[in-house]
Amino acid sequence: MPNWNSAIKKIDINNVASVNVKHHSELFISEVEPIMKLNVRGKSRDFLSMIGKILNIILPTEANTSTTNEHITALWLSPDEWLLFKNNVTNRGTEETIIEENLYKNISQKKLGSVTNVSDQFVMINIQGQNLYELLSSGCPFNFNDFKNKKGAVSQTLLNHTDVIIYNEEINKINLFVRRSFSAHLWSWMNDSARFI
Amino acid sequence: MFLINCPYCGERDQSEFSAGGEAHIVRPKQPTELSDNQWAEFLFMRKNIKGVQFERWNHSHGCRKWFNMVRDTSNDKIHAVYKMGEKPPIK
Ligand SMILES: [Zn+2]
Repeated sequence: MPNWNSAIKKIDINNVASVNVKHHSELFISEVEPIMKLNVRGKSRDFLSMIGKILNIILPTEANTSTTNEHITALWLSPDEWLLFKNNVTNRGTEETIIEENLYKNISQKKLGSVTNVSDQFVMINIQGQNLYELLSSGCPFNFNDFKNKKGAVSQTLLNHTDVIIYNEEINKINLFVRRSFSAHLWSWMNDSARFI
Repeated sequence: MFLINCPYCGERDQSEFSAGGEAHIVRPKQPTELSDNQWAEFLFMRKNIKGVQFERWNHSHGCRKWFNMVRDTSNDKIHAVYKMGEKPPIK
């Protein structure tokens, strides 16, 4: 496995051990790592069917939704853009390379669309607990009323002025994707805010 | 704060969007045949109306798509939202 460094682990000066996992009274926040993430873009019917053939998944075309199979989840980002990620923490070295190369050969090289590996660009943070949406709403303009009861819902919005992708995995359990360079800051903000809810 | 109805994502807070200036300005077909004044007119001059204005907006912190909006600049009332390339739904 290649060298892999958490963007979050090294920044907590108060708690050296396992600092990318945090327990609060009604909240559990943890970094999910390492996990494969791919950004795919394309418009054509051939693009959609090729992705389906390779990954055995139908990319969602309805806004703010997702699709999932036993290995992978696809999040709708825009009418021609999706974020794919593995459902489980994997050995990124071999498995990731095989999937990425397969997609690159059949999508990028055939000019059906584009495939970008964003595993190291995005940090995935899992948040669970009853007060989860109170935490998000303390720094986010998005209306979570419908979102929180809709399993599989996806939203791109701002959290504490930072771009995030939020995926409703289960009731009171979300996965949040944030750009790596913003992740340490957002992590501190979330854990600080969690003290007040 | 007000809400904008992104034609792709639905209703979102204004803070997720960026304004992109006046809409429906057509690039001259033959820029080389224009005088400097005519070119400057295309490049820089904008109406900046007080009242109903046709504008381009970008859902920069959401789907990152551009779209058009008819907005009253005096009270931020949004009369219509429509996709790029589409004709304005009102006059
Ligand atoms: Zn949008």
